[in-house]
Amino acid sequence: MIDILIRREVRSAFVTSLPWILLTGGQIILAWIFLQVIERFSGLEAAERTVTLTQELTLNVFGFAAILIMFAAPLLAMRLLSSEFQDGRFDLISAAPVRMITVVLGKFIGLLILITPLCLLPLVNVLLLAYSAELDYGQLAAATLGLWLAAALFAAVGLYASSLTAQPGTAVFIALSILLLLSIIGRAEQFTATTLSLFEWLTWNEHLFWFLIGTIRFSDLAYFGFFILFFLLLTQRRLTNRYLQ
Amino acid sequence: METLLRITNLGRSFGSYSALSEVNLSLGRGEVLGLLGPNGAGKTTCLRLLSGVLAPTTGRIELHGIDLAKYPLKAKRQLGYLPEQPPLYPELRVDEYLKFCAQLHRLPRRQLITAIAEVKQRCGLEDSGQRLIGTLSKGFRQRLGIAQAIIHRPQLLILDEPTEGLDPLQMRMLRKLIRELARECSIILASHLLPEVQAVCDRVAILYQGRICFNDYLTTDQPIYGWRVRLGDGSTLMQLTALSGITGAVAIGEDRYRVLLDDHVDSAQFAQRVIRAGLQLRELVPERTDLERAFFDLIGVESER
Repeated sequence: MIDILIRREVRSAFVTSLPWILLTGGQIILAWIFLQVIERFSGLEAAERTVTLTQELTLNVFGFAAILIMFAAPLLAMRLLSSEFQDGRFDLISAAPVRMITVVLGKFIGLLILITPLCLLPLVNVLLLAYSAELDYGQLAAATLGLWLAAALFAAVGLYASSLTAQPGTAVFIALSILLLLSIIGRAEQFTATTLSLFEWLTWNEHLFWFLIGTIRFSDLAYFGFFILFFLLLTQRRLTNRYLQ
Repeated sequence: METLLRITNLGRSFGSYSALSEVNLSLGRGEVLGLLGPNGAGKTTCLRLLSGVLAPTTGRIELHGIDLAKYPLKAKRQLGYLPEQPPLYPELRVDEYLKFCAQLHRLPRRQLITAIAEVKQRCGLEDSGQRLIGTLSKGFRQRLGIAQAIIHRPQLLILDEPTEGLDPLQMRMLRKLIRELARECSIILASHLLPEVQAVCDRVAILYQGRICFNDYLTTDQPIYGWRVRLGDGSTLMQLTALSGITGAVAIGEDRYRVLLDDHVDSAQFAQRVIRAGLQLRELVPERTDLERAFFDLIGVESER
């Protein structure tokens, strides 16, 4: 059953212009950043180079791709539930013999498939240097994995926000608010006297950073895993409440 | 007749507002039940509860003895639901959409092609398989909405205002289709249009302010149209029956009569004859059919007229 929902979501999305616009716009911006990094790096003397080319690329190109995906995910997610609530299409699924958790997973995986090409864009750009520069492929793989996990988190937040309202614009606003909060909450630590790094731990970019420098830590995998599951369960809860309330 | 659907003490509240309360109904196999009521009477809420889209606050719904709240997946397999607004994906083609709906209702893969072809043929969509849903007209969208509801051959079909927004020809075609479908499954149809319910339903339940206030079978006899007449003080039935062009008249109150006219006599001619005979004509109103009268009487409009 889940594959039927995924196929429908992917098919419906790719016949609309939004994923193609995001992919094209994303590629133009990333290509520009990619060229900036190459130009700056090649202008440096060997002694001035403090980090490797791969590191420069992962921190800048992959790092910026994460910001792009953070804005793209809510836009792609809004039509999954919000739009369906708005025009009554969700009744088709509600009246069908399908479990709500299956619906949530089907929509989430469908969204993840839509976002995956965006996650691969930085890698595709960097691989253009495969024959002309020495690259650390392990680090590139770790960075791509980190970016994909961050995208999965953005998708889960986007899906949850989409389940909260029948207004797609409001859903995007809610998702971006949650994601921006999760981006800057780490800075709150500066204003407190405590040494507890809870706020820092809550910030997604702190965890993505370790992937970008090529380190895969269990705590970072757990962070993404935990929050993805958390927002998916909230979505499932929200849909169940819709039936009950 | 075997009971397919049993609704016991069904109620639904939204906060402190009670949208539906104490609804008790049962539906036999092959029966077409018309749920009639003015806008806001609770028809859509009732249908959403029956289709499992909403949970009831009180009561239970059993389909073939299966409790919809306890075993939703099992019960929903026997349901087909067309909401007020057909749940369509404008970016999909008709065939793709029907395939998705069939799979959603767990139709076996080997039956998909046959089921899609059959349902398209029944709903007059044979030549529209490759058309984008977004380009379909209102009538075709409605047909597609019905097609998705019947593709898995449900035992109970729930239709919410199925002819809303259709032209008279499309309405007639849809009514014919509903009568055909009634040979295979039971149907609950919500409408605020009396003629629609009279045209396709075996039974009617009138909902008003969230309660069922009338529930009876429609007679197969043609409705008798007559006229209600009110004459001046001191009139008698004899004076009225003495007029030409009247096939029958009965007194229904002081100076009030129900009159049946000859086929060739219209109300204007009758009024002239009454006046010429020196009887004071105070009132001349068309007599409604039983259902219509019941509908207006129950919702309290009659007294205002």
